[in-house]
Amino acid sequence: MLQSMESPPHVLVIDDDREIRDLLARFLEKQQIRVTACRDGKEARRAWTNGHYHLVVLDLMLPGESGLDLARWLRGQSDVPIVMLTAMGEETDRIIGLELGADDYLAKPFNPRELLARIRAVLRRAGDTAASRTEGSTRGFRFGGWTLEPTRRRLLNPDAVEVPLTGGEYDLLLALVERANRVLTRDMLLDLLRGRQAGPFDRAIDVAVSRLRRKLEDDGRNAQLIKTVRGGGYVLAATVDRA
Amino acid sequence: MLAGLALVQIAGLTIHALDRIDIQRIAQSRNLGFRIIPIYRLIAATEPARRQAVLSEQRIGPGLNVQLSDNPPETLLAEVPRGQQSLFRIGVNFGGLGDPKLRWTELRLYGGFQAREVVYAFRMPQGGWLNVAAEPEPIRPWHSPAFLIAFLLMTLTAAALTLWAVRRLTAPVRVLSAAAEALGRDVNAAPLPEEGPTETIVAAVAFNTMAARIRRFVSDRTEMLTAIGHDLRTPITRLKLRAEFIDDDELRTKILGDLDDMETMVSATLAFGRDSQITEPVSSVDLVELLRTILDETGDANPEVADRLTYSGPAHQTVRARPVALKRALANLVTNAESYGGSARVTMVPPTDGTVTVTIEDDGPGIPAEEIDRVFEPFRRLEQSRNRETGGVGLGLPIARNMLRAHGGDVVLSNRPDGGLKARVTLPV
Repeated sequence: MLQSMESPPHVLVIDDDREIRDLLARFLEKQQIRVTACRDGKEARRAWTNGHYHLVVLDLMLPGESGLDLARWLRGQSDVPIVMLTAMGEETDRIIGLELGADDYLAKPFNPRELLARIRAVLRRAGDTAASRTEGSTRGFRFGGWTLEPTRRRLLNPDAVEVPLTGGEYDLLLALVERANRVLTRDMLLDLLRGRQAGPFDRAIDVAVSRLRRKLEDDGRNAQLIKTVRGGGYVLAATVDRA
Repeated sequence: MLAGLALVQIAGLTIHALDRIDIQRIAQSRNLGFRIIPIYRLIAATEPARRQAVLSEQRIGPGLNVQLSDNPPETLLAEVPRGQQSLFRIGVNFGGLGDPKLRWTELRLYGGFQAREVVYAFRMPQGGWLNVAAEPEPIRPWHSPAFLIAFLLMTLTAAALTLWAVRRLTAPVRVLSAAAEALGRDVNAAPLPEEGPTETIVAAVAFNTMAARIRRFVSDRTEMLTAIGHDLRTPITRLKLRAEFIDDDELRTKILGDLDDMETMVSATLAFGRDSQITEPVSSVDLVELLRTILDETGDANPEVADRLTYSGPAHQTVRARPVALKRALANLVTNAESYGGSARVTMVPPTDGTVTVTIEDDGPGIPAEEIDRVFEPFRRLEQSRNRETGGVGLGLPIARNMLRAHGGDVVLSNRPDGGLKARVTLPV
């Protein structure tokens, strides 16, 4: 996988609230993630040029230069994955941010464990799909008539009607679609759902997959799209076109 | 109003009747005078000895009984009442005596119109009395079909005109009361048209000013809440991070649970304060999968009730909607059913006339009938009958209704006959 997984990943956290910055750094460092924290765009640019980062956690509400401008600047610099922290209820910010190429977002006040799960999922995805990412951010994946749009976090059926997904179902489907025709182990998928699910984790994957199959009209017993791999894993068996 | 109108009509009718009675009495008394005086003249001009003979030769008309006598008549009738005396006296004066020497020396009158009989007793100049008993025709104040028709026509016209005028005058009042009612239901109801008579315009302007002030007040309060909600996000985030450093697992879980509740309240407040659905684009969405997703998420968060969250109805139904807003509205209703009723049975009826109906039923205590409209008022919670532990700030239902109405739909609550609450959602397809 990712070479950097061997050494702890380095994350740049940009948030104007000192307490949140410090607490987040402590929290992530407890989870074996190296953190550099900045309070605004100016500090962030300086830190960016002086270091090497695997991921950026960016608060969109910054004093001075806005988070969206900083995200645009970062995108110009590299393909570093960005997890945005948005204000709850600011739909437009979220959509603009995702369209700018942010990889994921969380609304404040966020659950730290969920942030951790997102960071891990995004890091894993970034390591996995490094080659494809250089082609630019993907606006949509097409497979078997269905369309998955990461910028809007939504799934469209062949008639272009949105089929609503839970957050966990979306993450799961995105992971499967990004690694189409490759087997994803239950452990990998569990990471995706961690922080989202309240129930027992071991069943969560199977439940989420069976719901996804229902929504994709993929008959459970004779599933064609999401196939069960013996020995514990799932694979999306379809050609995926990126738009 | 109508009683007064009737009174006026009755008074008018009485005046008219009295008038007619007077006129008829005058006519009657003259009529009698005309008939009696020629007889009197004849008898008075005849020498006393031949009078009886002359009288018996006379043909006397019906209703008259003429007697010659040496005395005034013996009658049980009282003297004619004062008011009528002059009538009868004037009446006989119209008869025309020709020779003033023939004029009676005394005239006594008995009876009257009420007695239906009048007795004239003339003392003749040469002596002796001529007593004439007459029956005046009965007085008939109503005896005229034309009058009756005219009267009815007048009454009906007056009644119709009065009704029309009253309705016209009270129309602005009714418009005003309807507007007040509408304002009570929706602060953003359309203003009253400021037109019509001056008084109506003044009232409409005053009403609209009041409505604007109420709106201002509500929006101030909402803005303040939104501001508080915004400001609460940072401390809640800090607390959530701090809680992660608590080693006691149970304590940490409880603190995080409380913080989640706070977050829910803040997000409800923000959703109510800013109409986030306005910025969201409209797109096609599968309503059935939306409902199922909501039920799945509710079940995931509360695994112990997951079995009691069910959907029945068609497998797919496309609607044009703002997906995030619509999901929030329906999720509020499902969450309500789950937290107050311990279950949620969602049923969809396929669309008729372009409207799809979704019902959400629970097995909870329902809502007292008198509260059922008020639960849509912001910040209203039914603490007496419902469980306090459910949290929330009383914005779930107002948000749900606002958002559904913004979609051209609505939600109506009712108590189910066999217990529990039923929310009936309608949405245009």
